[in-house]
Amino acid sequence: MALRRKLKAQVLCAFLNFALSPGSEPHNRLAAHLPKEDEHEMEFDTATSVSQSPVKHPLPELEIYCYLLVLIYLIDQKKYSEAKACSSASVARLKNLNRRTVDVLASRLYFYYSLSYELTGDLAEIRGNLLALHRIATLRHDELGQETLLNLLLRNYLHYNLYDQAEKLRSKAPRFEAHSNQQFCRYLFYLGKIRTIQLEYTDAKESLLQAARKAPVAALGFRVQCNKWAIIVRLLLGEIPERTVFMQKGMENALRPYFELTNAVRIGDLELFKSVAEKFSTTFSSDRTHNLIVRLRHNVIRTGLRNISISYSRISLADVAKKLRLDTANPVADAESIVAKAIRDGAIDATIDHANGWMVSKETGDIYSTNEPQIAFNSRIAFCLNMHNDAVRALRFPPNSHKEKESAEKRRERQQQEQELAKHIAEEDDDEF
Amino acid sequence: MDPKLAEVSQLFERFKAACAREDVDTCCNVLSKLKVLLTGFSSLPPLFEDTPNAIHELTLARDIYEHAVLLSVKIGDQDAFERDFFQLKPYYTDASSSRLPPSSQEYMILGLNLLRLLVQNRIAEFHTELELLSSTALENPCIKHAVELEQSFMEGAYNRVLSAKQTVPCKTYDYFMDLLAKTVRDEIAGCSEKAYGYLSVSDARQMLLFSSDNELLQYIKEEQPEWEIKTGQVIFQKAKESASCKEIPSLQLINQTLSYARELERIV
Repeated sequence: MALRRKLKAQVLCAFLNFALSPGSEPHNRLAAHLPKEDEHEMEFDTATSVSQSPVKHPLPELEIYCYLLVLIYLIDQKKYSEAKACSSASVARLKNLNRRTVDVLASRLYFYYSLSYELTGDLAEIRGNLLALHRIATLRHDELGQETLLNLLLRNYLHYNLYDQAEKLRSKAPRFEAHSNQQFCRYLFYLGKIRTIQLEYTDAKESLLQAARKAPVAALGFRVQCNKWAIIVRLLLGEIPERTVFMQKGMENALRPYFELTNAVRIGDLELFKSVAEKFSTTFSSDRTHNLIVRLRHNVIRTGLRNISISYSRISLADVAKKLRLDTANPVADAESIVAKAIRDGAIDATIDHANGWMVSKETGDIYSTNEPQIAFNSRIAFCLNMHNDAVRALRFPPNSHKEKESAEKRRERQQQEQELAKHIAEEDDDEF
Repeated sequence: MDPKLAEVSQLFERFKAACAREDVDTCCNVLSKLKVLLTGFSSLPPLFEDTPNAIHELTLARDIYEHAVLLSVKIGDQDAFERDFFQLKPYYTDASSSRLPPSSQEYMILGLNLLRLLVQNRIAEFHTELELLSSTALENPCIKHAVELEQSFMEGAYNRVLSAKQTVPCKTYDYFMDLLAKTVRDEIAGCSEKAYGYLSVSDARQMLLFSSDNELLQYIKEEQPEWEIKTGQVIFQKAKESASCKEIPSLQLINQTLSYARELERIV
């Protein structure tokens, strides 16, 4: 990263001259992308190096590395359309190369290729290219490339909200052990997003939390996004995230709207929820979480209903409607249906008396006399035991530790110690006798 | 004009006339012939070639598929609807952004699709489709109607769902609204079973939206044999007295304890 800040046109020119023989085709192509500052300086350089060195045969890896440097420089300088042209040229070059040693550099190039198109808003154009590249990578068993390209494709689809196409690709693409932690994190994040939209909240929560945990500490923006989605998924599942989640270092401002939203859901107040949703609607739209927030309305009502059922042993349905602040044409009938559904789903424990128009909560008996504590304890015990087993399995010994050859000195030391011990034991025996 | 194009347009006119006459059989026959002819055009998806007549062909094909979708609603064939809608979708997403002028029936058909997914209880796909809609689309009354319907359905305010039947934006929605009414009725019956101890017959009839007592009795006989009818009241099967907690679920406890012992032994 420190190198990236030092990239300037002159430095790049000098490096290009050093690595690729000037006047050669790759050099011309790359140098065309750099701004023509100090023309005379470049001429001077070319003059000297031509006279000095014989024709160099640049390694393809070196060429690709030069492409990468130029691309990073152009993106940092915000020259996005030129970056686009440069990256397209590099991808065309890569298609002809088939060397495993280029793979790591190639995957970085693909990433910047997709980034340059995304920054100019043309992501849909490269979708076909990315798919072709993914096919090629699979054929060549280029696993890192496959991983990177799959993530880029998922990002492409999710950018345009094409969730079912993304899911189809993800389910059919070959899966293998992740090579790169960063790519794995990205994959988990995209997977979590897809699962959220498909209403599979438990899976989504797991993926998103894992992505947030595995992400490197420096990736603050990524972790903020993961946390935003994780918070919403937890709200949709009916659990309230604790306050520490919102107070993580560096994320307080970004997570502030979600904090207020959680508050509204926790209290179960529809009006507060509506006002918060409206207040931060721009933030939510830019995060693309707007539709999910709309789904939360149902949770708010449930929570409010649960609070009412616990506090009152008997309450009329008209009062329920008023407390829930249902602002519809026929609140009492609505309230009745909502309460009936909540009872059926097991959210509250009550019965409705239709003739008198009230809701009667059931008494909760003494829990300790039932089997409930046993079941709760059992689930906790099972979880701890599973974790213990997983930890033991995950213990990693340094490779070849049992085969470590003792150096001569260590062997001498060990033999000395053994001798001393033997002498000591012998002396003791003698003493005893 | 291209001869193929002329032929297709002519056939399409016959199709529209048959639709207006409500002549379903002719419609279906002509539709299959039209679909076969459409395969001759190369400017349609998935090829999207740029032929000189491309825009004309695309518009024509889109109109044909829209009419096919509406026909399938009329005859009540949900599979045909799904097939035709999937063929229609690329015209709305890929082609419209580049070349075609927007279709007048686009939002109505999108709303119809959302409603169909709701009726078939495919809520995950409903939400996926919803994500694809832009915010301007969400303001359109046809789509807003479907979205609000889904919300009421999720919340459990079924009376709102049934009253929405009165406020459909277009007549073609009626078919799906009828199907929805049936689903809602089953849901209400399920909820009432758990929530109420008993209901008077007139109340039950009102809630389940039957027009006469006889219909109610027949419904109960067919669908809900556990409900009893006594002295003008419908008694739902109350849950049996909860088994006294003196019983110990011995098998479960044995299994649990054995697993604890096994795991503890494994700890080195």
